[in-house]
Amino acid sequence: MKPRFFLLLLLLPLHALAGTTPGTAVQATKLTESSPAVPQQAIAALPEPVPEITKNSLLRVNSTNQVYDFFQPWMKKPPFSRRGLGVLLEGGRILVTAELVANSNFIELEKPATAEKSSAVVEHVDYDCNLALLRPNDEGFVKTMPPLALADGLRVSDQANILQLEPNGEIAQTPGRITSISVGSYPLENLGLLFFKLSAPLQQRDGSFTLPAVSDGRLVGMLMRYDARNQTADVIPVPVIRHFLKEPGAPGTRGFPRLGLSFAALRDPQLRHYIGLKEPGGIYITEIAPHGSAEKAGLKKGDTLLAIDGHAIDQDGNYEDDDFGRILFSHLTSTRTYPGEVLKFQILRAGEKLEIPVVLQPPDRSRVVSDTHLSDKPPKYVILGGLVFIELSRPYLQEWGNNWTATAPQRLVYYDAVQNELPADRGKIVILSQVLPSPDALGYEGLQNIVVTKLNGLPVKSLSDLVEAAKKPVNGFQKIEFEEDPKLVFLDAAAIEANRDALIKHYSLPALQRL
Amino acid sequence: MFRILSITASLILAAALNAAPIAESLVRIEATSQEPNYKTPWNPGDVTSGVGAGFVIAGDRIMTNAHVVSNARFLTVSKEGDPKPYPARVLHIAHDCDLALLGVENPEFFNGTTGLEFGGIPPIESVVSVYGYPIGGTRLSVTRGIVSRIDFQTYSHSAMDSHLTIQIDAAINPGNSGGPVMQKGKVVGVAFQGYSGDVAQNVGYMIPTPVALRFLADVEDGTYDRYVDLAFSHRELFNPAARRALGLEDDNTGVLVSSVYGGGSSSGILKPGDVILKIDTLPVSSDGTIPLGSESVPLTEVVERKFKGDTVTLDILRDGKPKHLKVPLNEPWPFTLQSNAYDEKPRFVVFAGLVFQPVDQNFMEAHNPGNQRLNYLFDYFVEDEIHRDRPELVVLGTILPDPVNAYAEEFRFSPVDEINGRRIKRIEDVAQVFAEPADDYVITFAGTGRPLVLERKAVQEAGPRIAERYGVASQENLIK
Repeated sequence: MKPRFFLLLLLLPLHALAGTTPGTAVQATKLTESSPAVPQQAIAALPEPVPEITKNSLLRVNSTNQVYDFFQPWMKKPPFSRRGLGVLLEGGRILVTAELVANSNFIELEKPATAEKSSAVVEHVDYDCNLALLRPNDEGFVKTMPPLALADGLRVSDQANILQLEPNGEIAQTPGRITSISVGSYPLENLGLLFFKLSAPLQQRDGSFTLPAVSDGRLVGMLMRYDARNQTADVIPVPVIRHFLKEPGAPGTRGFPRLGLSFAALRDPQLRHYIGLKEPGGIYITEIAPHGSAEKAGLKKGDTLLAIDGHAIDQDGNYEDDDFGRILFSHLTSTRTYPGEVLKFQILRAGEKLEIPVVLQPPDRSRVVSDTHLSDKPPKYVILGGLVFIELSRPYLQEWGNNWTATAPQRLVYYDAVQNELPADRGKIVILSQVLPSPDALGYEGLQNIVVTKLNGLPVKSLSDLVEAAKKPVNGFQKIEFEEDPKLVFLDAAAIEANRDALIKHYSLPALQRL
Repeated sequence: MFRILSITASLILAAALNAAPIAESLVRIEATSQEPNYKTPWNPGDVTSGVGAGFVIAGDRIMTNAHVVSNARFLTVSKEGDPKPYPARVLHIAHDCDLALLGVENPEFFNGTTGLEFGGIPPIESVVSVYGYPIGGTRLSVTRGIVSRIDFQTYSHSAMDSHLTIQIDAAINPGNSGGPVMQKGKVVGVAFQGYSGDVAQNVGYMIPTPVALRFLADVEDGTYDRYVDLAFSHRELFNPAARRALGLEDDNTGVLVSSVYGGGSSSGILKPGDVILKIDTLPVSSDGTIPLGSESVPLTEVVERKFKGDTVTLDILRDGKPKHLKVPLNEPWPFTLQSNAYDEKPRFVVFAGLVFQPVDQNFMEAHNPGNQRLNYLFDYFVEDEIHRDRPELVVLGTILPDPVNAYAEEFRFSPVDEINGRRIKRIEDVAQVFAEPADDYVITFAGTGRPLVLERKAVQEAGPRIAERYGVASQENLIK
């Protein structure tokens, strides 16, 4: 018997499409409690004890976090805790990574030597650069502690030590060396910012979600990722920290500016020749994000970007930075720039050189179609007669697990992936995510993950639109229209109103909507 | 207890009595086939061979499964008790219902055989016998079981078509394919697929006689026209509010038309939101079934028994008003790109070491591209009417690396939008535009931002070099 026929007799699934799509996030192990331990034999003898001044600037931070269940957005998943080492800075504030305290319910500070405890709150957080500042509820708790200064001017091959807390309260120090300085993707927002790569054989210890790296008693940066196999740590460096620290003082200009464009390298000589590029360098602008800084300045898809503020851009998109050498140009437009600043872009358009001033601003989050993350914010939802409506977001798709790009509904994955190409007035994508079976929703039980277009004839571009339109039933019915099958659903407007309390009680819902 | 035993005993006796003529009409089929590789579409493909079953029917023809003889290059048939293999050929093949008819050049083959006759749909719980050559072997094997369920099932050969299927609990194994399932001396089905994995056991499927007889009727005029389709989707109408909103009584009748697929038979006749009350005068229940004979079957069964050129009448409710519609079943379902395709040559154009191909299920299975845009366009080709813009999804598939295409990797699996300003709607457009002289060939793809530029001179130099190095036997094939 030949295997061919064996296969043909097997029943194949209807949709035999199982594409695997690589994620965009950098694949590296985070320093979580659950990440694989570093080999225990790795460390050589510690070179020198940690200076007292450094030791006394550190606080153990225990954060109890709880995230919402995006499939059942009215409830939270079980709480979990993350631990790390925070650094006391000038002004009595403690610096940690944003991931440590994302969705935190309760934050506890602990002095390593004495195990004295006090609580704290997040004073300022920026998920773009993955940093947060904590304020102790009792400011006196840190009064006697010396703040740590920031170490500027570090370069490739400089040494930096990573600090960890031993179970006995001692600080362990692992020597490392900066192997590269580049622009790379940060967690949470996937924004490309400056980071140091540190080579250091870290041992896995309890509570290592945020760890500081120091040099000569000064802070070099905060660890945000550790790759146990390659023994390299990605560190949020001082230039990014300094940018972040300016934010709380100037509320109108918070955040890292974002240019809002995509580019392709211009290595292909055939393409260079075709667009009439005679000089070396330059990159090809492939996409302009709607409502972004680049779009507002008038940059266009197909432009060749030659220089920014006199810094020539090479064919891979790098420029020569005074501090860090060849590095991606987006360092110029993010970490080196503050919101509202203007940079001069030199471009080539249809064979003509132009200079275009670009006002750099952080992205307008209200315009985002599908949010990348929704930390600290409860997800919105509306329930109409048992039909659960939500707005499409990346965290919702991520509920399908690590392989969500292949396993989540493909239309939703597609909308998330191409959101910059959708019409500028697309608004949010409202989805019927599931149905809580009820007498009003009889016959609609299986409906899930379909995109709503209209309610009672009115276009739905947000959950607020949905709520407004629901106030205007047609002939006593809520008429809901969808992009996909079943295309059309009716609910009895009076009946769902009358059965509100029964539905709430039956499924123990806190409320039928949260906006 | 005693009575049940005696019934079983008499059934065994009946089966034994009938075994002799059936065995004479049973055919063992050895097929040598060649399956093209969509990654190297210029190659003829690997040669493989397999064994299946078939049976003689009236007119000296052999019925078997399409999957037994798909992509066949050489076929032989042999009978029980006559070891001589006779060369055979495919007369008709229906990939959408997994059936085929074979002829044998040498008429001597049919000496002593009797064409088996077809019966009806066997009742639930009645006993049937399955004949074939499971797990190889040259001798006839018979297994027995009862009819477990009669339902619509996906036919895994095309993976897109569903027809009436009978589930039986007799063991159906590889090699049973194409063999007859008998009851009272008549063919009541053709064994064709089983269930894989640990989920279910003792589950085998056969193609029932309505499907087999439809196939025979379809080919009477000498060609197989395929199944026709109303090309709309419908939803059950259980919700009381929906029923009142649509002007229906609370009487369990009618289904809601949800999608009407552009390019299909009902396009321009039916509208989403219509309620179907009757199909060919048969009342449609709110779960989408109709009474047919003594059975309750899905309403599509009406269309299943029709042919190209026939008409379906629909009694509908549109905006609360009754309407009587006629839907001519002019063309078979036009969108077959999501079906497994057989007996087709891959179509492609090679240019500068870049292989441009129209996307279909065979392409997706060979390449398994992890491109979200392509996955969406393929999945929703019919539903979102992608075909209006792109009658074919032409993409860059295989890349044969060479200096001329050193920077093309990022375009792999991206749909081609334009070449030299010309909109690419079919693979033929690619062949034509590359045949026209130009200094540069500028190719734009959906979602990649920058164009791919190929200089003619460089392409001309690279062409023979690539063809030789990678053994590209032909630069294009545009015919299926």
